[in-house]
Amino acid sequence: MNQMNKSFFFILILSTIFYLKPNILFAQTFDSDSYHIDFGNFNMTSGKKNSANYTLTDTVGQNAPGQYDSAGYTVKSGFQYLYQQNIPLSFVISNLDLNFGYLTLNIGSTVTNTLTISTPTGHGYDILAIANHPLKSIGGNSTIPDTKCDSNTCSESISDIWTNNSTYGFGFNANGDGTSSYFPNNSYFRQFADDSNSETAQIIMSESIPVENHSALITYKINIPSNQTGGTYQNSINFIAIPKY
Amino acid sequence: MSNFNLTLSPSQIEYVLKPEVTIIQTYEITNNSSDSINLNTEVLPWIPSDTTGSVNYTQAIANPNIIFSLGNSDLQLGQLFTLAPNTKKQLVLKIKTNSNITLADSYYTFFITQNLTTTSSKENFSQASGKIGSHILLTVSDVENPKVESTIQNISIFPKIKDVFFRPINFSGQIKNNSDFFFKINGKITITKNDKTIKEFTLNSDNVLNHYARNFSCSDQNGCQLKTPLWPGHYNVNITLDSSLNSKSYDTSFYILPISPMLFLLLITGLFFGIKKIKTKSRV
Repeated sequence: MNQMNKSFFFILILSTIFYLKPNILFAQTFDSDSYHIDFGNFNMTSGKKNSANYTLTDTVGQNAPGQYDSAGYTVKSGFQYLYQQNIPLSFVISNLDLNFGYLTLNIGSTVTNTLTISTPTGHGYDILAIANHPLKSIGGNSTIPDTKCDSNTCSESISDIWTNNSTYGFGFNANGDGTSSYFPNNSYFRQFADDSNSETAQIIMSESIPVENHSALITYKINIPSNQTGGTYQNSINFIAIPKY
Repeated sequence: MSNFNLTLSPSQIEYVLKPEVTIIQTYEITNNSSDSINLNTEVLPWIPSDTTGSVNYTQAIANPNIIFSLGNSDLQLGQLFTLAPNTKKQLVLKIKTNSNITLADSYYTFFITQNLTTTSSKENFSQASGKIGSHILLTVSDVENPKVESTIQNISIFPKIKDVFFRPINFSGQIKNNSDFFFKINGKITITKNDKTIKEFTLNSDNVLNHYARNFSCSDQNGCQLKTPLWPGHYNVNITLDSSLNSKSYDTSFYILPISPMLFLLLITGLFFGIKKIKTKSRV
């Protein structure tokens, strides 16, 4: 074999190796403790694009996207559907231990925590609140009654202004997303619904659209008069998060 | 400082069931906090409390022919369990319908409730706790798509005085379900002027429950809102629901008036004649 033939075969082998070389493909995988799923979808481009005013999620060149219905099943195929379902219903209460410490007469003591909620596509939410009973002394029957606010009008379902130091009781304000229908601003307070008095949990935060990490600051306020019976006062407050149907 | 941080998925399930069947639904609950949490489960019936999608638990009565239970081998409905920090748990809810069940809807919420730990603090103290729920909409029927009937009602177009500029025109109203089975809103609002379509709004597919009404909303970014400026004249509004919802379409109309341009012209004219009068007086 002469030199020319050797060069020809060498180039041919190199070309064949180059042609047969596997290409690297990028595909999505999902893992859990029990499963590993190689996501069988190849597309030209996809992802999340952001600007100052918009976020766009896209998938281009994907095979058979869309909703497929049969008698027993609905299949939603496509990354855009997955994006829709990515936000589950979640609920966060930032601080469960609401410690008022030592209460000073005629000066309102306050503590705060934050409620945060996310809801899936197609759903708004309601957050309701209820107390097991008014603040009650441990081992005794004394209570710090629920506030009636400055004009003696507020209840578990009606808010009113409470700024006066000679107005006594226990109440709360919610200030943030979805609260304006219940508390016009942070000087408005209301009572917690009292389960021991057969009152029903009341909505304190609500929106009719899907939300992500919407939050409200809850301010709990106690103001006691000089004739308040001494003791340690406690109760429990339950916050309930449900989607709009 | 302990906190409550739970995720529940799915947030709502909707099933059409035949009598005497059992279905199984898996829920995934995630404790996203760094503390263990004691939890409990319960299923409570509800009825709609208003037209916005809120619910009322106090006046609802459980259907005795629908039986809920947990299919988990280590857990029963109403039994306490602990979820470790940053872990998930699958809860398998079984829903069984008895053979003598009435063909109608029933609505429930599957609740995950935090079980309070007793505090022995010597401080004045409120203990907060959390509860999260997922709705269950059940239609018991012999057929896959039970017949429903609906009415379009309480339509309102505001503001009352509609100007060519400034305030946009808002459309609101309700869809009433006149049947025993819930359905999803499927329809549109079409606004025409001189037989030409000006705007078409697609209604959001919210659930309307049996014998209750629901406010409709539009999938448009600005809701059911027609932006100004608009040409003056007579506008027709047609609200139509999908034929499967067996509803009569709703027709109404409104006028857009050139109020602000007229007021502007009147002001200019008034100023013109006012200045002219002052000038005439000053010459005399």
